[in-house]
Amino acid sequence: MLGIWSDYILPCLCAFLACVGFTLVFNIHGVGKLICGVGGALGWLIYLLGGSSILAAFWASAAIGLFSEIMARLRRCPVTGYLLVALLPLVPGGGIYYAMRYCVAGDTQQFLDTLLHTFGMASALAVGAMMTASLFRAAYPHLHRSRPAR
Amino acid sequence: MNYDKLLNISVELGCRLMSSGAEIYRVEESVRRLLQAYGLDSPEVFAIPNCVIVSIATPEGHPITRMRRIAGHGTDIELLERCNDLCRRLCVQTPPLEEAQGLLDALSGRSYAPWQVLLGYGIAPAFFSPLFGGGVGDTLSALMGGLAVGFCLLYAGRFIGSNSFFRTAICSAVASLVSLLLVRLGLGRSVDTVTISVLMVLVPGVALTNAMREIMAGDIISGLSRAADSILTAAAIAIGTAVGLAIGGLF
Repeated sequence: MLGIWSDYILPCLCAFLACVGFTLVFNIHGVGKLICGVGGALGWLIYLLGGSSILAAFWASAAIGLFSEIMARLRRCPVTGYLLVALLPLVPGGGIYYAMRYCVAGDTQQFLDTLLHTFGMASALAVGAMMTASLFRAAYPHLHRSRPAR
Repeated sequence: MNYDKLLNISVELGCRLMSSGAEIYRVEESVRRLLQAYGLDSPEVFAIPNCVIVSIATPEGHPITRMRRIAGHGTDIELLERCNDLCRRLCVQTPPLEEAQGLLDALSGRSYAPWQVLLGYGIAPAFFSPLFGGGVGDTLSALMGGLAVGFCLLYAGRFIGSNSFFRTAICSAVASLVSLLLVRLGLGRSVDTVTISVLMVLVPGVALTNAMREIMAGDIISGLSRAADSILTAAAIAIGTAVGLAIGGLF
């Protein structure tokens, strides 16, 4: 039980709060704050469950993409804000930092490894979120039509 | 109808949308829909991240074009939502132009007080540090580092200048210096964890996400320029941090 708490729940809570912190920077108010936080926590949970690999980042960002599209449709708001903030915890800041460290230390092999891994993370994030967003947009009109008219 | 006035309103709306951080396709489509709602057949709209061009032909066949350049801007989601709502409303109701102009001029969203934004810059890194394996001391150090970087971004812009590459580099140098200092003082445990947590407020996550969105939407020019922006920002972070650590290593 303690394992689940410290391995999953606490990090997700931190991701939630970090995202809420970012909503202050991007001037998001009201329910939007909560949506951004939940999106960030959801993404981080999936990233942890997937084993913190590049593939896990892909699935996490795919989930974030889907979540923010749905929320944007429900609230009739632009999706940009939710997506940007929820993806932030996954952006490879550490990759940039360690690549710089290896580069300055002259460790070319490690530098290239880290650099490529950073690029991999960044592309996984971008492709994951965009893919689900595009899929959702393609599927949404059909979902909408099959619902009884109000 | 006064087409000059209509053109001015639509360009102003496009400009507002863009400077609040909207995607290119949203700007282009909003302006086009607005002009179509007022009865123009084929308005042409072209937007790139720092410029909007709108060209219309009046029913008499007289072409009018207006271009508006947009200075560097941040992301303001509240304003974006307001603009989006206003555009939707104008398209449905098509009020007289004077009224539309009034609504556009009155457009302003809530915004946080500077200390709240500063607080945001502080708590985001503070809660990132546990994600990178930091303890309580690292969290506190990251909070202070984040506040220092936020202070640089919000208040020191006048001294640093408006060049975003240089600004990011300076802020990263501050981030690494503050982290180094706090770890030397014994508050934080790991320089790496604290620095990375603080750097998370500078990483080009927004530019990267926007770049991919533009490319997927088919706006290749804007997508490539935003991608170049995110790579430059990442380079600025690396250079700034390296300089900060080098200066810190002297003492």
